[in-house]
Order: sequence, then C-alpha cells, then structure tokens
Amino acid sequence: MSGLTRSWICENCVEMLFVRGSGNCVQCETPLRKSNFRVQLFEDPTVDKEVEIRKKVLKIYNKRDFDFPSLREYNDYLERVEDVVSNLTNNIDVENTKLQMEQYQRENRDLIQKNKVKLTREQEEVEELLLLEKQGNEQRRLELLQEEQRQLQAKRKNKQALLDELEHSQLPATMLLAQHKVRAAKLETQIEQQKQAVKPTSLFSTGINMRQTVSLQPPPRIEEVLYQYKPVHVETYGPPVPELELLSRLGYLNHVRAAMPQDTAGGYTSALACHRAIQDAFSGLFPLKR
Amino acid sequence: MIPQSNRTSTKGRLCDGVLDLVPPVRLNKLAVSESKLLERHEEDVIFRHYEKRMVDFCNAFKPVMPKSVVGTAIMYFRRFYLNNSTMEYHPRIIMLTCAYLSCKVDEFNVSSTQFVGNLLQETPAGQEMVLEQILEYELLLIQQLNFHLVVHTPYRPMEGLLIDLKTRFPTLENPESLRKNADDFLTQAAMTDAGLLFPPSQIALTAILNSASRAGLSMESYLTECLQLKEDKETLSKMYESMRRMKTLLKKYELPKPEDVNACKKKLERIHAEFSSTSNKRKRGYEEDSHLAKEPRLTEEEWTDEDLL
Repeated sequence: MSGLTRSWICENCVEMLFVRGSGNCVQCETPLRKSNFRVQLFEDPTVDKEVEIRKKVLKIYNKRDFDFPSLREYNDYLERVEDVVSNLTNNIDVENTKLQMEQYQRENRDLIQKNKVKLTREQEEVEELLLLEKQGNEQRRLELLQEEQRQLQAKRKNKQALLDELEHSQLPATMLLAQHKVRAAKLETQIEQQKQAVKPTSLFSTGINMRQTVSLQPPPRIEEVLYQYKPVHVETYGPPVPELELLSRLGYLNHVRAAMPQDTAGGYTSALACHRAIQDAFSGLFPLKR
Repeated sequence: MIPQSNRTSTKGRLCDGVLDLVPPVRLNKLAVSESKLLERHEEDVIFRHYEKRMVDFCNAFKPVMPKSVVGTAIMYFRRFYLNNSTMEYHPRIIMLTCAYLSCKVDEFNVSSTQFVGNLLQETPAGQEMVLEQILEYELLLIQQLNFHLVVHTPYRPMEGLLIDLKTRFPTLENPESLRKNADDFLTQAAMTDAGLLFPPSQIALTAILNSASRAGLSMESYLTECLQLKEDKETLSKMYESMRRMKTLLKKYELPKPEDVNACKKKLERIHAEFSSTSNKRKRGYEEDSHLAKEPRLTEEEWTDEDLL
C-alpha cells in the first residue's frame, strides 16, 4: 500500500514498478518512491489508512494527561486530535488540517521533544520486561532438555553395565542385581547434587542480568488509606472459652488423655483436643437474644 | 416448629397429575388410608422404621463404627427426607448411602467392599449390586444435603462438658457416673428431631442435667456459677424451657408397630413399582451429561428389605 496516494498494489507489482528506478502509481499516476510503501496490516484498507495517519499525528500531538491542569481541558485536546485524524482520513479539508498541524508543531516544539523522550523510555522498559521473560523461558526449556538427556544417558549406561556384568562376571545374579541397585541409587544422588551445584554466574545478586541495560524510571507511587488492624470478634452465644495456652494452668488437661510420644512428635498436644471439646461444648449454649 | 410439619412439602414432589385425583383423607388413628399415596403419618412410620434399621445396621457394623459416624449418618438421613419424599427415593437405598457417605466424611476408613460385606443376608453378587446402587445415589444425596457434609453431633460437646465439670465443679464428685445415662440420652435424642431444632451443645447439656437429676444430684449451681448465669435470669429460664421441650420430644418418640410398618411398606412398594417406570427418576446427580448415561437398570427392584440384616 502506498502511503502517499493510498492505493493498493501487491508486492510483486511494487518490485516490477521500481525496477526502473522510480515509477508512477498505477491508479492515479502520481510519481512515487519505494520508501513510501508499507505492508498492509488490517483487512479493511480504511482502517489501515487511519492507523497510519494516527501514528503520524500522534507523533506531533503527543501531550499526556498530566500536562493539562484539568480533565476537561485534556478531553478537549483529545477531541481536537480526533478531529484532525478524521479529517485527514476522510479527506475532508486536508489543507487546513495540515496547516493546523504545522502551526501546533511550531508552537509546542519543546514540549513535543520532551514527551518524545519520555515515551521512548517507557517503551524501553516494556521491551526489557518482555526480553527478560523470553530469556527466562528459553533458559528453563534448555535446562529441562539437558536434564532429560543426561538422565536418559545415565540410565542407558547403567543398564548396559548390568548386562555386561551378568554376562562376564562369576558372581551369582542376585549379588549383581544388588550391586546394580546400589549403583543406580548413587547415580541418582549424584544427579541431584549436580542440579544444586549449577548456579548461573551471570546475574547480580538482585537478579538482574549483567549485560542488561536497566531503565531508571522510578516506580509509580500508590497512595492508599493506612490499614488499621481490628482483631476478629466471633460471637459464640455461649460462656467464654479459656485460651489454649491457659488450659494446663487451669487444670483442664488433667482430665484429658495425655499425649503419647508418637503424638507429640507429630505436633499434637492434649491441649488441642481439650480446647476443641470445650469450644464445642460452650458454643451455642445460650439461646439467642430476641 | 413441630417436627411433623417439616414433611408437608414432600407431598407435592411426586408426579403432578396424580395428586389431583387423591382426596385428602385425614384419619385420627394410625390406620392405612385408602388413597394411593402415603399420608404424612404413614411416611413418618416408614421413616422411623428405616431409621431404626439403619441404626441397627451401624451398630452391627464390623469394624466397630464410632458414635459420631452413626450420628452423622442419622442426621444425613433425617435431613434428606426433610426435602424429599420416601415415595420418590426408597429409604432402604438412601439409608445405606447415608451410612456410606458418613463413613467417608467422618474419616472412618472402610473400603466399599468391606462396607457391603456387612450386608450379611446378601450373596457377594447381591452385595455388588447394592454397592452399585449406593454409588449411584451418593451424588444425589450430597446434592440434597446442600453440600453441607459436616455434621456437629452432640458427642464432643458432651465430652467437653464432662471435662469442664471435672475441672471447675468439684461439688460433683464423680462426673463419670453421669456418662452412661447421658450417652443413652444422646442416642435417644438422635432418633428424634432434636438435632434439627437445638444446637448440639444444648442437647449435650440437657443430657448431662437429665442424667444428674436421675441420679439425684443437683447441678443448679453449675449453671449459675460456672456458666456465669447468676445475673442473667432470662437466659437461664430460656435454657430450662428448651431443655424441657427437648425432653418432651424424646418422650414422644416411640418405635412404630410392626403391623403398621408392614401395611405402609406394602403401599410404598406398590407406589415405587408403579411410578418408577413412568416417572422421570433423577437418581443420578449428573444425568444431564449424555455421555455418562448408563442403560436403565431393570433389575433394581429385585432385592427386598429382608435381604438386609
């Protein structure tokens, strides 16, 4: 598609046209240069045309919401931008609109420059994150593949060794099998150790790659209401239950089955069962207040 | 809330057309009415009969079933028939499904073969069939219980109260002597609607106070001192009131007479035989999935009550 004349020509014809150096557009005979051609992205040619125009316009009209003192003015500015884009897309009043654009450009040259820089910085950040993600995925995939390969090879070697031994050695088969099992276990521990020993040395302690460019945008500030802790109060409709820790002092635990060593090893104390029984006994004991 | 009134909603559940033909016959004595469908009191007879069968089944279970499992099973049975009718789902299958589900929920580990192995009157093939039926109805049961599978039985509150008595109420010398009677009270209470009407801690307290008054011991001071109800006369009187109501509930319970049971059972079998083929029996909770549908079970009615226990 040609940016200048907005006409559509397939790639082959473009090539043919420019073999002779410069050519004229097939439909409207305007002299064209090859650089003006772009690949069509959208199915509807009007949409593509609009997208192109919008990109160009927004390069010039690139103010942001914090550049304006009020929301109303920002919205007015956006409306003006849309008007410009729609005029250019539908070929309404093209001359005037172009004049407007140039005027705006002249007036706000510095602001445009500043905003351009800001935009590029943000884009860089996003690209960095994407790159990081991709790299992480790639690394993980490669590592997994390598692991699998290694394990397969080790297993194959082991089996082969066992078969050879069964053939050639004088020891009985059971002993050989036992030896083989021991060797297999040793191999597995070796593999585990290897996995843990591999540490990438290309990262800083914070996890940033050594070769990476880091953008220095400050993180966005979020202001919120400070959190106030309110302890949870549960209405049990019954007499108050003593705390778990006080149960032994109050003498409750004398009447519960003591915890055996196996139970304490698992983290169980008799206070837990006692507390639960008392809780169940006391909750819901009093009738509802109507 | 009267227990009987909970079951009024069940009548409307069966095939819509049939009910218009049945005039509501209300008889005072427990005679079997002439209508085709079960009356409220007849359904009650059936319910109590099968509940007793379930309790006997659980008590004869090998390995020994803990009390909480039995309590949970009874509660499931009761809750299921709050919203469904015995005419729609026959109690003999539902009672086994309740017991099976409660074993699972209460973490009383019994394999399914072991479970049906307790059905002593059946051949192994018959036990297999029963197991299949149980598995079919399990999902439906869970659904009808509204997925509320945890049941708070009064057994643990009773333990808690005994512990509390031993710790804080030295006036009572041997609270352990109350345990047996309280246990009996709780087993009796499980067969009534007390579990649906009162919180389990109140049932446990009633059990203990009842047992104490039977032994001639006074526990007034426990209530006023330890439970800190000295100033709160209103709460105290309300508690006494609810305990009285619970005791009346227990006294009102009686096992249905065998002749009534047989009559009602015959009616029930007739209803099930007639309506099972015509009505849309939604016994599987997931029947909407067409690829899960199995062939209709023709052999379902073959095994009868006498095959159990």
